Amino acid sequence: MTDRGREVVFAQAIRTALREEMQRDESVILWGQDIGVYGGVYGATTGLQREFGEDRVRDAPISEMAIAGVAVGAALLGMRPVVEIMYADFLMHAADAIANQAAKWRFMSGGQFKVPAVFRSPAGGGSGYAAQHSQNIESWFCHIPGLKVVCPCMPRDARGLLKSAIRDDNPVVFLEHKSHYTYRGPMPKEEELLPLGKADVKREGTDVTLVSWSRNLLWALEAADKLREEGVSIEVIDPMTLFPLDLDTILESLAKTGRLVVSHEAHAFCGVGAEIIAQVVEGHMDLLKAAPKRVSAVACPLPYSEPLEKAALPDADDIAAAVRQVVR
Amino acid sequence: MRPERIEQLIHFYRDMLRIRYFEEKILNHMLPNRLFRGSSHLCIGQEAVSVGAVHAMEEEDYLFTTHRNHGHTLARGMDLEGAFAEIMGRTTGVCRGRGGSMHLADASLGILGANPVVGSNIPMATGAALALKMQGRKGIVVCFFGEGAMNTGACHEAFNMAALWDLPVVFVCENNKYAISVAEDISMSDHELQDRAVGYGMESYRLDGMNVLEVYDFCSATFGRTRRTSRPALLVFDTYRFVGHHTSDSERYRPKDEAIEVFREKDPIHFVEREFLEDCHVDPEQAVDIRIDIKQEVESAFERALEAPWPDPATLTQGLWAESEVTCGD
Ligand SMILES: Cc1ncc(C[n+]2csc(CCOP(=O)(O)OP(=O)(O)O)c2C)c(N)n1
Repeated sequence: MTDRGREVVFAQAIRTALREEMQRDESVILWGQDIGVYGGVYGATTGLQREFGEDRVRDAPISEMAIAGVAVGAALLGMRPVVEIMYADFLMHAADAIANQAAKWRFMSGGQFKVPAVFRSPAGGGSGYAAQHSQNIESWFCHIPGLKVVCPCMPRDARGLLKSAIRDDNPVVFLEHKSHYTYRGPMPKEEELLPLGKADVKREGTDVTLVSWSRNLLWALEAADKLREEGVSIEVIDPMTLFPLDLDTILESLAKTGRLVVSHEAHAFCGVGAEIIAQVVEGHMDLLKAAPKRVSAVACPLPYSEPLEKAALPDADDIAAAVRQVVR
Repeated sequence: MRPERIEQLIHFYRDMLRIRYFEEKILNHMLPNRLFRGSSHLCIGQEAVSVGAVHAMEEEDYLFTTHRNHGHTLARGMDLEGAFAEIMGRTTGVCRGRGGSMHLADASLGILGANPVVGSNIPMATGAALALKMQGRKGIVVCFFGEGAMNTGACHEAFNMAALWDLPVVFVCENNKYAISVAEDISMSDHELQDRAVGYGMESYRLDGMNVLEVYDFCSATFGRTRRTSRPALLVFDTYRFVGHHTSDSERYRPKDEAIEVFREKDPIHFVEREFLEDCHVDPEQAVDIRIDIKQEVESAFERALEAPWPDPATLTQGLWAESEVTCGD
């Protein structure tokens, strides 16, 4: 068993991964807005410019299109850029470089090139940043063949997955949750890489399979605790990588439980939950004892006001209620 | 100074104070008491641009602003209580609590919105100007943004279209020296921001943004010209924000005393007070009365906003869709 290590905040796990990979490989370079002296608006790059210099850690102008496009170009010539887009909402500016260029360049060239770039960005709501600074758009990128999409929750996982993302020869969209950078969890001292495309069973159980990721996983775990007191045993699975999706781990769990709930902070329509349920129903209906359920946000731009935002986002009670329905 | 000019300066003074006190309330009271969420971007130090430029607008004109919008919106006459209530997330807020500090808007005042997605308001303002022109209306559109926004592709694409299509829009860039932590040295290949318009064949000027009278005079002339000719223009005002980028900024990117020194030298409100004494012979007592009066106005709006109800969660999705009935066939 690995050393559970010390407790770190999520931002530090990201920083550790960046630092370790930069020490290991000179071609790993960073740019993004305010990532230098400022250390990034969420502190994920604090101290890295001091350690690695202004050449390898660059403050970028407010030019998302070029921030991402320049990363693609540099990646073609063998650099490993890890760029930070300050809010996932602004990935929409960077989307041409990511979705039209990075995702397709290798395929269109008949496999001549590779694009080992990572696009990191804080997503998600819950902090009162309103409609244009709170979105969860992981499903947009999952829909683009040629991109890998990672949405970690636990600091340890974030570090291990980011390291793998940096070493991966394909473009990776790496979404962090903006309300989650100060979340604490254990992280081993020694280096650890976690494979992209492999889910993790966060809690074992026998009655219901509950799939969730990013910050929303915390509410899933909270719901699982609550329901254990009611005598319902829940297996909580964090896919961690949404594309490629590790369906096998979910199916193994369903073979035990026969019941599926998927919860994510994004709203349901065309969300990744829909895809997971579709894949289960399409190929593995025989495993199911009840209709699967989704727990997600209301389909509405996120409002600023606290009572409204609370009403819009899923929480542990919503998840628990859905679980009670599938076990009924 | 002519008496009308003195009257005007007093009017500007009142408006600048209203903005300053409004934001000081946010900084000194609402922040420690957690009366708003997320963060709020204050324009303390930049009031002369807001007041000078907005007062040069006509009633039929429209404006677009940014995350740093309190100056523009209040100068245009946004209701203080409605603005406070919005920042508190109350149902009586100007956007019914949906938007918060970064999104103040008021259609009735021609405030088409505050856009915190940096640069994205520039094409939108250009489009509004296109509509005004095609509808044969006489207004212009004024678009405020920071110098950081001039590095966005949206800005350059819109500049070109505005000039290409002869649109009645004036771009007002407030160069407050920092885009969050990033100073011009780090982010601009060339510091002559006004020159960027030249490549698009657009008129442009660079001016002191700390002198409200100069801002007003220059904007009046420029807006008037755009009104007559339907040609766009770019104005770059040099200014400075005395406080953090937003209410949770560490400010570790600038020397500790820099803001204090610039404040001492250039505070646009002190500037007006000096004018009062030196050129206008305004009785200092009168300035004190004005300050007390405006402070009172801000305080009472704040108190009323604090009493306002929270939005009902059942109304969450209200306002998402426009009521729309399209008739197809007979
Ligand atoms: C497209 C986009 N990228 C990044 C951000 C994050 N951000 C918010 S304000 C800001 C700095 C803006 O600087 P400037 O345009 O000079 O305006 P100021 O804040 O100084 O008024 C940045 C980078 C954003 N809101 N939008």
